Amino acid sequence: MLAEVLLLARKDLRIEWRAKVALGQVAPLTLLIVVIFAFALDANAPLLELGAGGLYWVAILYGGTLLTQRSFELETEDGNFDGFRMSSMKVHSLFLGKALALFVQICLLEIVLGPAILLFYDVQVANWALLVTAGVAGTMAFSVCGVLWGVMAAGLRVRTTLLPLLLVPVLAPVLLAGSRAFETALGVRADAGWSWTSLMFVISAVHTVVGLGAFGFLLEES
Amino acid sequence: MSEVATVATGWGLTFVVVVTYSLWVVSRGRAIGRELGIGEAESPGSKRDTDLTTDS
Amino acid sequence: MSGGTNSTEMTATPATRVLGVSAVAATALMILLGLVISPADVVQGEAVRMLYLHVPSIWIAYGSFVLTSFSSLLFLARSKRRPDGGRHYDRLAGSAAEIGVLFTAITLITGMLWGKVTWGTYWQWDARLTTTVLLFVTYLGYLALRRLPVDPMVRGRRAAVMALISFINVPIVHYSVDWWRTLHQKASLSVGRRPEITGEMYWTLLYSVLTVTIIAAWLTVHRYRVIRLEELRDEETLEQLISSRRNEETADTAEPGDTI
Repeated sequence: MLAEVLLLARKDLRIEWRAKVALGQVAPLTLLIVVIFAFALDANAPLLELGAGGLYWVAILYGGTLLTQRSFELETEDGNFDGFRMSSMKVHSLFLGKALALFVQICLLEIVLGPAILLFYDVQVANWALLVTAGVAGTMAFSVCGVLWGVMAAGLRVRTTLLPLLLVPVLAPVLLAGSRAFETALGVRADAGWSWTSLMFVISAVHTVVGLGAFGFLLEES
Repeated sequence: MSEVATVATGWGLTFVVVVTYSLWVVSRGRAIGRELGIGEAESPGSKRDTDLTTDS
Repeated sequence: MSGGTNSTEMTATPATRVLGVSAVAATALMILLGLVISPADVVQGEAVRMLYLHVPSIWIAYGSFVLTSFSSLLFLARSKRRPDGGRHYDRLAGSAAEIGVLFTAITLITGMLWGKVTWGTYWQWDARLTTTVLLFVTYLGYLALRRLPVDPMVRGRRAAVMALISFINVPIVHYSVDWWRTLHQKASLSVGRRPEITGEMYWTLLYSVLTVTIIAAWLTVHRYRVIRLEELRDEETLEQLISSRRNEETADTAEPGDTI
């Protein structure tokens, strides 16, 4: 099982390594979002510092949705799922493998985006442990939800517009929790950063369980 | 907006929404039924049915 | 929902006509009770009349979404066992969700108007309001998924899974938003609690719930039948396309480009 998960994740990451879509296209785009927010908020330094945590997650929400889209585009274009069904691998492995690959890719995005926010918006990190843990928790929740809803829209003609519509309402609590946790980690707010972080872990756990149960239904004849 | 005007707007909008939706559902059912050639035998009753659905 | 043969005849049957007539009659009485007979509230004044629409609407909306989730569950259970089984559960889920979205919209409209009069603002970022608006968008997405032209069983399964996950998500959303508003902004705008409703107003509210339930039931039955008709039409169109395609192949001089 674990070997299968790693194999499937490695397959996705190798494709990414060769094509460099996450690093070459999506990461620069999120950087652009950081700049655009400064335009929208009239480069108001106190406002940007206050909103840095939330803006970070909004940028991740956008970039992550694009990566999710891409992750399933690759599979359905050549009918990979049919091949998968004929192999002896378990559906659960596919779910976890794709989630793992997506997790790694979004982490890459965050490694670019994080420092950019710190530099451009002039924020100081008050609690590194919380920042990193909250980042991991939020990314986990994002990748699990992303895979679950990505396969829902996979192969449909209108997937590019449908996926964000389905994904964003589900990710709304993650965005809320991530923003609040980051605000604590960045010293803007005083309380509850860890509670918000654990909420994100709970959300990813719930969606992992649901995803493992539902993935088989979604993959059939799609 | 005064209280009475607000209440009137709320009730008015609600009725517009519900009536529009009912009409849409019924007319769509009729249109497809006609396309498929079913339910035409029941034409005497169908007029009364239209009157009925406009209000509900 | 009457039997399979009946539902293909028309979207109205004697039973649903009775339901429709009672919906109209009940609505007339509801207008009379809600707008004329029942008194204005001591605290809220005339604005209390908005609650006679608002409260039944949210009750129907949540009820419809529960129905959607429940029939989605049954559909998934059936469709696994039999290749074409449980399609009626899929139709029920679809029609109930649409009614749910309709009444969520009404809840939001009436709620915002009520809020403007009582709170002085159309919108408050409190848990109930925020959850409702997210629920609204979620089920709009669900309906968008249902509208797609793909194999009905594939679509049905995806929609059913989506309905179930969305339902599981409701408490998560509500809890996190509630926490957001109570934990961080202790001194938020003092939102007036909904007042105690007693006497005539209580009975009017109860009666409104009954009326709106009848209307929603009538709508759901009709929508269910229309979905059935849509499916029949799609099947017939497919058969026509296949047979015309066959004719084309058998005939030596095939006419170009008539079929898709």
